[in-house]
Amino acid sequence: MMDAKLIFDQVSKYYGETDQAVTALNHISFQVHTGEFVAIVGPSGSGKSTLLSIAGLLLSPSKGRVILDQLEVNDLSSKEMSRVRLNKIGFVFQSSNLIPYLTVRDQLLFVAELAKNRTDQADQQAKRLLDRLGLTHRQEVYPDQLSGGERQRVAIARAWMNDPELILADEPTASLDSKRGRDVVEMLADEVRLREKAAIMVTHDERVLDLCDRVLEIKDGQLTQLSYKQVCTTDKND
Amino acid sequence: MFLTLREFRYSKLRYFLIGCIMILIAWLVFIISGLAQGLAADNAAAIDKMKVDRFLIQSDAEQKLNRSVITPKQWQNVSALVPKNAATPFGQKMLSVSKNGTAHKQDVALFAIDAASSLAPKVLEGKSLTNTTKGEVVVNQSLKEAGIQLGDFIQDFETDQKWKVVGFANGQSYSHAPVIFINLNDWNRLTKNLYYNAIALQVNQIDPSSITGKVKDVTIINKDQLLQNIPGFKEEQGSLTMMITFLFVIASFVQAVFFYVMTLQKTHQFGVLKAIGANTSYLARSLITQVGLLTIIAILCSLVFSYLTQMLLPSNIPFQLNIDTDIQFSALFLGVSLIGSLLSLYQIAKVDALEAIGRIE
Ligand SMILES: Nc1ncnc2c1ncn2[C@@H]1O[C@H](COP(=O)(O)OP(=O)(O)OP(=O)(O)O)[C@@H](O)[C@H]1O
Ligand SMILES: [Mg+2]
Repeated sequence: MMDAKLIFDQVSKYYGETDQAVTALNHISFQVHTGEFVAIVGPSGSGKSTLLSIAGLLLSPSKGRVILDQLEVNDLSSKEMSRVRLNKIGFVFQSSNLIPYLTVRDQLLFVAELAKNRTDQADQQAKRLLDRLGLTHRQEVYPDQLSGGERQRVAIARAWMNDPELILADEPTASLDSKRGRDVVEMLADEVRLREKAAIMVTHDERVLDLCDRVLEIKDGQLTQLSYKQVCTTDKND
Repeated sequence: MFLTLREFRYSKLRYFLIGCIMILIAWLVFIISGLAQGLAADNAAAIDKMKVDRFLIQSDAEQKLNRSVITPKQWQNVSALVPKNAATPFGQKMLSVSKNGTAHKQDVALFAIDAASSLAPKVLEGKSLTNTTKGEVVVNQSLKEAGIQLGDFIQDFETDQKWKVVGFANGQSYSHAPVIFINLNDWNRLTKNLYYNAIALQVNQIDPSSITGKVKDVTIINKDQLLQNIPGFKEEQGSLTMMITFLFVIASFVQAVFFYVMTLQKTHQFGVLKAIGANTSYLARSLITQVGLLTIIAILCSLVFSYLTQMLLPSNIPFQLNIDTDIQFSALFLGVSLIGSLLSLYQIAKVDALEAIGRIE
């Protein structure tokens, strides 16, 4: 229990008015442990993005408890949510979503700027991340000059910049070919294990599932754990 | 600041263009305001420079100096009521004069004053007017350009008068004509002792109502009322003020629309920024810095251009920049720009961090 980075406890999410509400998530419970890289798959409209938004403190659940790094976060105000987001969560979005007018290096430093700790340490951190993701030679370049894979790698570097406890990735490989996609997910997985953090990735891409510790499937707002991955999970957790 | 400067650097052309538009508008505002003040001075400097604050004129004159007639009898009554030096009569008349021996005529505004009173002009060159000499005149410097020099005679055929130019004064003009000053004795000869136009009053020494109660058919107005009723003054200033007002509205709209469209374009980006932890107030500050910086740079550039314009304009064009007005307009300009950015701020506040997830740009 102590090493659970994220706990969903009977979480439900309804959209809209009570009488004709859409149930996007229906009493979902699961945990993500330290060093674990979890994939979420499921058909379109099943509630994947909703789940990720709640885990990322972009949305509040309608019911249930969400515990992030020992802290109950389901009742926070939007201001507090924004603060926790800045310190504990790193996002990698579907289409990288870099800020067009910041150079690769500034994309990372901006996160430090937001957290009000633009120190030498932040500069070092940015340097280290860029180096690790093989982007050092591209650091003064704007996003429009990067390839899709490079952009996603920058997005991953940016997500690590504030040293978050939890990384959330929404289809990070959607805009990449399979080779590039696999590279990007590999990097994500390596970082998670190396730093003893946790990550959840929503994906449609079956070819990268073997890189994950666990695969959860969501259907009509209900969660099931895919059996063939459970084998893998036990392998790795032992 | 982090985002502001980097975005300026990245989208140079875009911000350069909007900056140019702002500079041009602000420049035009300063030019028109310079013109308004130049014209006002050209029209009213002689009155504006008088070191008095009230004027006694005929009540039926509709506050117009040229229509007002104060009889010598009324002047006697008034002077009996006030301490010495607190009141002085003066006459005003528009004339066409020519330098003796030439046919070229020149419009001038004649002011007849008591040379010992506070209305006497300061003379830069030559000697001052006195009450004892006959047929002497102090004229505004600008007449030099018409070839008039000290010792020259100027004459008016209509009234058959001839005066000797004894001194030059500076910045004395009225109703867009240079002023010439004569003493009251010459005036009485000219008008055959019939009238003055007004009496200038030092109001701190007298109670206006004590005069209007005792002297019939007169009224007391302040300097601003007199200025406003100089022929053409109100119309000139009014139309220029209207232009300036419109320019402010245009500037505010142009900038508001520019930033609004930029903000709409960046909705998704703001969503991403919010998702990675920037809050509304951070983004709002960033936008306000952008608007403020752009406006301040535009104002500074246009001020430089305006002062260059003033240097390059020929001296006979009435153009006068005034630091107080420049500061006022600059502040107003910044104010309307910031008000214009409210629309964008509202848009930024509305953006949800959720925009960032589950959507392809
Ligand atoms: N803002 C909203 N208002 C109302 N209903 C919503 C809203 N957002 C999502 N939904 C509904 O909730 C359900 C789950 O949506 P969600 O976006 O989580 O699906 P998803 O699994 O991410 O789908 P996809 O794979 O297509 O991205 C869907 O039925 C969707 O129509
Ligand atoms: Mg989705």
